[in-house]
Amino acid sequence: MTTYLLRRLLALLPVMLVVVTIVFFLIHLIPGDPVAVILGPEANAQQIEDARRELGLDRPLHEQLVRFYARLLRGDLGRSYFLDRPVTQALWERTEPTLVLMAGGLFVAVLIGVPSGIVAGAYQGSWWDRGLMTLALLGVCVPGFWLSLNFIYLFSVRLGWLPVAGYASVFQDPVAAFRHMLLPAVSLGFSQSALIARIARSCMIEVLRQDYIRTARAKGLAERSVIYLHAFRNALVPVVTVIGITMAILIGGAVVTEIVFNIPGLGRLIISAILRRDYPVVQGVVLVTAAAYMLINLVVDVVYAFIDPRIRYV
Amino acid sequence: MPLSPIVRPVLFALVSIALVAGSALEAVAQKRGGVLKVGNLGEPPTLDVHWTTATITEVLANHLYEGLYSLDAKSQPIPMLAESMPAVSKDGLTYTFKLRQGIKFHNGKEMTSADVVASLNRWGAQSTYGKTLYARVAEVRAVDKYTVEMKVKEKTAIVVISLAIPNNSAAIYPQEIAEKFKPAEKATEWIGTGPFKLVEWKPDRHIKMVRFDDYQPRKEAASGYGGRKIVHVNELLWMPVPDAATRVAQIETGELDFADDLDLNAYERLKKTAGVQPIVAKPYYWLVGVFNKKEGLMTSQKLRQAWQAALDIEPIMKNVAGGHADLYRMDSSLAFVENAPWHTKLQGLPWNERNKEKTKRLLREAGYKGEPIRFMTTQEYKWMYDFALLSKQQLEDAGFTIDLQVVDWATLVKRRNNSKEYDVFTTGMGNFYDPTHHIYLGPNWPGWTNDEDLNRLLSELAGETDYKKRFALWEQVTRIFYDRVPVARYGDLFGLRARRSHVKGFDTTLMRPRFHNVWLEK
Repeated sequence: MTTYLLRRLLALLPVMLVVVTIVFFLIHLIPGDPVAVILGPEANAQQIEDARRELGLDRPLHEQLVRFYARLLRGDLGRSYFLDRPVTQALWERTEPTLVLMAGGLFVAVLIGVPSGIVAGAYQGSWWDRGLMTLALLGVCVPGFWLSLNFIYLFSVRLGWLPVAGYASVFQDPVAAFRHMLLPAVSLGFSQSALIARIARSCMIEVLRQDYIRTARAKGLAERSVIYLHAFRNALVPVVTVIGITMAILIGGAVVTEIVFNIPGLGRLIISAILRRDYPVVQGVVLVTAAAYMLINLVVDVVYAFIDPRIRYV
Repeated sequence: MPLSPIVRPVLFALVSIALVAGSALEAVAQKRGGVLKVGNLGEPPTLDVHWTTATITEVLANHLYEGLYSLDAKSQPIPMLAESMPAVSKDGLTYTFKLRQGIKFHNGKEMTSADVVASLNRWGAQSTYGKTLYARVAEVRAVDKYTVEMKVKEKTAIVVISLAIPNNSAAIYPQEIAEKFKPAEKATEWIGTGPFKLVEWKPDRHIKMVRFDDYQPRKEAASGYGGRKIVHVNELLWMPVPDAATRVAQIETGELDFADDLDLNAYERLKKTAGVQPIVAKPYYWLVGVFNKKEGLMTSQKLRQAWQAALDIEPIMKNVAGGHADLYRMDSSLAFVENAPWHTKLQGLPWNERNKEKTKRLLREAGYKGEPIRFMTTQEYKWMYDFALLSKQQLEDAGFTIDLQVVDWATLVKRRNNSKEYDVFTTGMGNFYDPTHHIYLGPNWPGWTNDEDLNRLLSELAGETDYKKRFALWEQVTRIFYDRVPVARYGDLFGLRARRSHVKGFDTTLMRPRFHNVWLEK
């Protein structure tokens, strides 16, 4: 297992290198100029040129790439043009909100998705099945921003139960943090729960058709024991994969939720960075997100071995 | 009936008591304390006001910094850190500025002429307006601890106004900061003499300013951006909320005390919300299509005139303003109504002509064969996209072929500097406080207006100091503008902001919000 883990961790490096190189070229190839954005609408061409020189943006692209690699080897992701601080600091400041949102969203997604999928699968064709799957379909179809705005309108503006937007640190004020995070986590988790529910349902249906389930029933086991002791665990491996993917999506993909609920996380950071052409920040966020994707995949692979003893890594 | 010598002093005493009591009552009414939460559209690129023309920097930084002069309610320069208006030598070449004494920076240091000289030199090397002024400046030097002298190469009218404008402004920094950060380098230490001081900047979360207790307000009544500034709130918390719908919801629920840059479509909803008062921000921008006059189709004056003749501006403005007649204004002056000294009332200008026959004639005379005109706009500013889209329809009805190119703002501001990449682009023009500051009339700004007559008149305007003569020149500029059509002027669009009812003392007439003299009545 240790050798396997080391091998997987080492494999991260070339993948990351390819990712950052592609992102470097992509962000530089799209038109736009960070300096023109920063200097404001009334700046003239001379001012823009002076500032480009100051930031090293007048250098050839290959030279900028070599400098970027050199900094990366020293663990330096560069300095944000717009925020005027090291990219690592900007990323660190936004990690907590994103992780809290991801955890909250994932919790809601699993809480809704897994039981719905299991119940729908176990009672295939029933009203439960139809009702829950219709709900799952809605979750997939309804755009996140629409759901978020309606949640805000209902629970914040009309009923006044929860704050509209903003973020409070869980370490400083856990109650305020919970109140601020409830609506974003539910709106994010609801759409993600749909995928989990559908996968859990189809896995459950497949497992329930297996011979050993028929044997368990033939032995006279209670239906509850058949479902929860025998079928559920075996249906779990693909569900864990989907939960892993959901987690990875939530790290880099909660952009809309972060913007609508004004959460200062990584999603909002990368969107503003793209709009401002803040190249070092875009590269930094992509690097972190890519690393998170790969690490989560690794963790999911390791979890398989615990769920299913037949899986072994050498 | 004349008052007797006995009654007169008694009456005087009574009136004095009444006035003092009135002031005391006012002082009681103006509650001190509280946190004022302001939602704005995003993060400033810097708080170094010498460095950028970005509006958001202007709004925030003007709470921290002050210049030698400011602008009153009529957009006229008034002293701020300078004791009075400058003494000007008879030949008009030497300006002497007396500084107020005992003015403290936020770091506790007293402001002296050394700080002023260092700051002005930095501003003159970086700011758009500073560079324009410094092209005429021979020397700025400290005469003594509280006196600064500026020598100009030739007589000019733009010294005091340039030092007073709030955008990209001539803010006074401590000498060590002004010298530590080169002009082309953003300052990352933000210390000024303003009524608020910065205590925390957490990007994407908040910028926290608190009352500067050592601030010494001027004695004159508050007017425009100047005069007496009293800070009643303990803390001013700027919260970046990029989503406009979220800002509206937050002001409705009271999470924000004040929200700026709101979607005009929210106007009706805000008017109906209890406890919220929408504020129409005038002036905001006049909408404009800027023609590329360096190369391409729009180098043809006839074609530009045809564009101007084709437009039916009112329906465009009404649509952009969400159908609200009080959110736009039809005006052809290049200076806003609010900028009274430079607002013109010329009749018979070829503006908003809606004349298809004239358009067709001009198109024929221009030799236009229906080649696509690249019209660049962005959806990041909804009003720009809206007016571009409506213009396209009108122009195509009149015989133009418009290739509407919708890009993001970063792309637009990059491409507009390259004459090969577009024919027209959309933007908005804010308030220019002096005729010589209208960037679209000169050759150094995208679109590159380089008209001999305009250049000559602007040069005369910069050198002339008599207001009446300057105004006559400005009227000539306006007439030539409508003949040469360097840009297509649409109408004035207003902005929308809102405050909770407990926010008192806010000056709704200001183009950009200021929170001194504002208190919370909760």
